[in-house]
Amino acid sequence: MSKVAWLPGSLFDNIDKFANSLGYQNAAIAIELAMQSWESPEDRNAFIYAITGDNIQGTTENRYPIRNLRR
Amino acid sequence: MAGNENSGGNRPTAPQNNPANISATGGAGQSGTQAAKYIPGMPYGQGQELMTQQTSAPMSGAPEGPIFGKQLGTLLDPTNNPSEPVTAGVDMGPGPGSDILPKNISADTRADENKMIVQKYLPTLLYAANLPDTPDSYKRFINYLLEQQ
Repeated sequence: MSKVAWLPGSLFDNIDKFANSLGYQNAAIAIELAMQSWESPEDRNAFIYAITGDNIQGTTENRYPIRNLRR
Repeated sequence: MAGNENSGGNRPTAPQNNPANISATGGAGQSGTQAAKYIPGMPYGQGQELMTQQTSAPMSGAPEGPIFGKQLGTLLDPTNNPSEPVTAGVDMGPGPGSDILPKNISADTRADENKMIVQKYLPTLLYAANLPDTPDSYKRFINYLLEQQ
């Protein structure tokens, strides 16, 4: 399941890319955009590049601890 | 023929020919009441019934004076604030910037929107944050959302 969740173009992959590319302060619009039906990760990335003028942010590292998970 | 050659005929300078003298609200009339007015297009019989209602008792006249207490001008009128630059309220040119505008115009609502999104999707977002392959960038984002609560 976890690998499926993080496949390129999946919802969570989209959230990761939009949130990190648009900035965390734009979380609401990043999540809304991540929920759109993108034809491919390339289309999504082209859209992000068009509105930010910058490369796609978001990494594939997984060493960062998550906090407050038991809220 | 004797007589004043200027008498009679249309006088363009007469008050009744000055378009500025026409009331924008239709005038209050001389009696202080509002005349009955037939409203066309109503179902059969109701128009006459409405006329009867209007004429059965005097109706109050139109309110006098401007609605907001200050007469509104037109776009071409001279400014009422000659000391204020036309760019006041805009982040360019002379005068104060957008920080003088009311908060409901200039407020950044992203924090409120983020809170709503967090409340709505946090359980799902947290689920993904706990998956073994979750990238660090996503975890950082979730941590940011948690701090915003």
